Amino acid sequence: MSLTGLYVGRAVSLRILFSELRRLGYVVIGYKVVDGVLRLGELNSFEELAHDVEDIQSPGKYSLVSGDFYRHGPDSPKRFLYPPTLTLFKVSSEWVVSVPAYEERNIAFFGLKPCDLASIKVLDKILLGVDEYYTSLRKNLVLVVENCVSPGGTCFCSTMNTGPRARDSFDLAYTRLNDKLVVEAGSELGLKLLNLLEVEPIDDVTYERFEVMMRNASEKARAGFELNGLPEELELRIESKTYEEIVEKCLGCANCNMVCPTCFCFDVFDVPLIDGSAERVRVWDGCLNFTYGQVAGGHFRPDLWARYRHFVLHKLAYWIKQFGMYGCVGCGRCITWCPTGIDLRETVKKVLRGGKGG
Amino acid sequence: MRKLKVAVYKFSSCDGCQLQLLNMEEELLQLSSFVEFALFYEARRSVSSGPYDVAFVEGSISTPHEVEVIKKVREESKVLVAIGACATSGGIQALRNWANAEEYKQYVYPRPEWVEVLKYAEPPSKYVKVDYEIRGCPVSKEQLLSFILQSSKGKTPTLPVDSVCVECKRKGNVCVLVAKGVPCLGPVTMGGCGALCPSYGRGCYGCYGPMVDPKPEVLNTRFKELNIKPKEIQLLFKQFTNWSREFRKVIEEYE
Repeated sequence: MSLTGLYVGRAVSLRILFSELRRLGYVVIGYKVVDGVLRLGELNSFEELAHDVEDIQSPGKYSLVSGDFYRHGPDSPKRFLYPPTLTLFKVSSEWVVSVPAYEERNIAFFGLKPCDLASIKVLDKILLGVDEYYTSLRKNLVLVVENCVSPGGTCFCSTMNTGPRARDSFDLAYTRLNDKLVVEAGSELGLKLLNLLEVEPIDDVTYERFEVMMRNASEKARAGFELNGLPEELELRIESKTYEEIVEKCLGCANCNMVCPTCFCFDVFDVPLIDGSAERVRVWDGCLNFTYGQVAGGHFRPDLWARYRHFVLHKLAYWIKQFGMYGCVGCGRCITWCPTGIDLRETVKKVLRGGKGG
Repeated sequence: MRKLKVAVYKFSSCDGCQLQLLNMEEELLQLSSFVEFALFYEARRSVSSGPYDVAFVEGSISTPHEVEVIKKVREESKVLVAIGACATSGGIQALRNWANAEEYKQYVYPRPEWVEVLKYAEPPSKYVKVDYEIRGCPVSKEQLLSFILQSSKGKTPTLPVDSVCVECKRKGNVCVLVAKGVPCLGPVTMGGCGALCPSYGRGCYGCYGPMVDPKPEVLNTRFKELNIKPKEIQLLFKQFTNWSREFRKVIEEYE
């Protein structure tokens, strides 16, 4: 929830926010340009934060050009809060088990988009209080969010009700309107940060402009289907042949799982080391991987279409039963980073167009 | 604890995979405390006879003589492990399967009639039961070591089987296919190398061969959409594991 309502300052004051977070001892993580792609990483200076670039995203394609607004890259907050590889514990050659102490790090995400903020809310529901690593980082996590004035070619946050404007769960949310900064605080810390900036309550003209921008952005980020009754409609069509048609383009490579900001599945394996000790390691796994559905008694999804269907239905139907919310935040990463450009939006529409029961 | 009795055999190959055992310079001494290399011509002269707990087999079967030997190896080994692209799919020399080996012999050997070759260079699995495959060209010494350590502990050995894409994403590499349009075999190739080539901005060359349930024909279609030349697509698949059943389908389209 916004504590303050909207204020207006100058866009250059983002630098002040950044410095203050650093001064308070936070590891500031934001988007920087690495190798022609936006990557989330630790920022040592405000200049490192990506600027004057735009990401052009379409199914199966990603590129950066010069511009004044960007959305995101392949990394989501998941990479930091729920790392791809994690040692769970070690066993010495004398059978002594030791659990690594996860270092306390105070992380501040800077300039995340509302879809990624929403993904953290989804992960909270699943991991908070359950996953030690996640919980330890989440305690002191600061979220400075940038509202999305220009959603990209694969975005559909307004359909998923996660954007383009962040409504709650942030410390500070800002919107860049040319040289102005529309900003609101959502927490005590956010309020402290807001007070460092030279801001005044928003005037009618700027407010009107802000509203128009958000409305336009909202129109741009629609998937072409409605959420109303979606889980039920999809489940009624579980026998749809559409999934088999779509996977004619599917490689089963699991890139979609890996880039999804809410996919939380993992695999665990034991690594014996040469000194007689061993480690138990957790890695990201995903339902598109063949071995994911392979169990001691056989395999419950040997066909690729069944694996793909599970991905779609888990995000948009089963997640509701499991956690009371959608597993998809509409960030579009699974569309952009699919090597063959399979489009989740099109899949859903195609399934819905088909009749019930096949 | 009894030492694991290991044999290392070579068939038609370049020796690079068994060399990976010797490349474990730091680990070798420690390794010898629980592994006995009973037969390992590249490393030692003395040979103790079988049966062996584990036989690592490098190379493809490409002569009638090799067929006899691999059958003997199978008989004297509890566990037979094919190591490297040659032993898992026929390897680079299986490229001759696409051409006329008899004709090649005339160019290469002064007395071609002395050289007996089979029509095809094939992996040992064509002739005998293979229990495990360790992929790669060459195999990674980390995977070899991991396999040996797991076996010596009495654990059923497991190795990664996901796509190279999964390793790329875990590692945090930029996808060269999506972000740069570079043709990459990652989506159809078995991981385990740590996504070595994409980590350096190159497309995957597919040296680990097809992953489990791969879709090379789908990737083939995608390459066409990206306007990659037919010859280039064929050569991508026609590399280290050209004779693997799954990649062959794509190669044949362009033959």
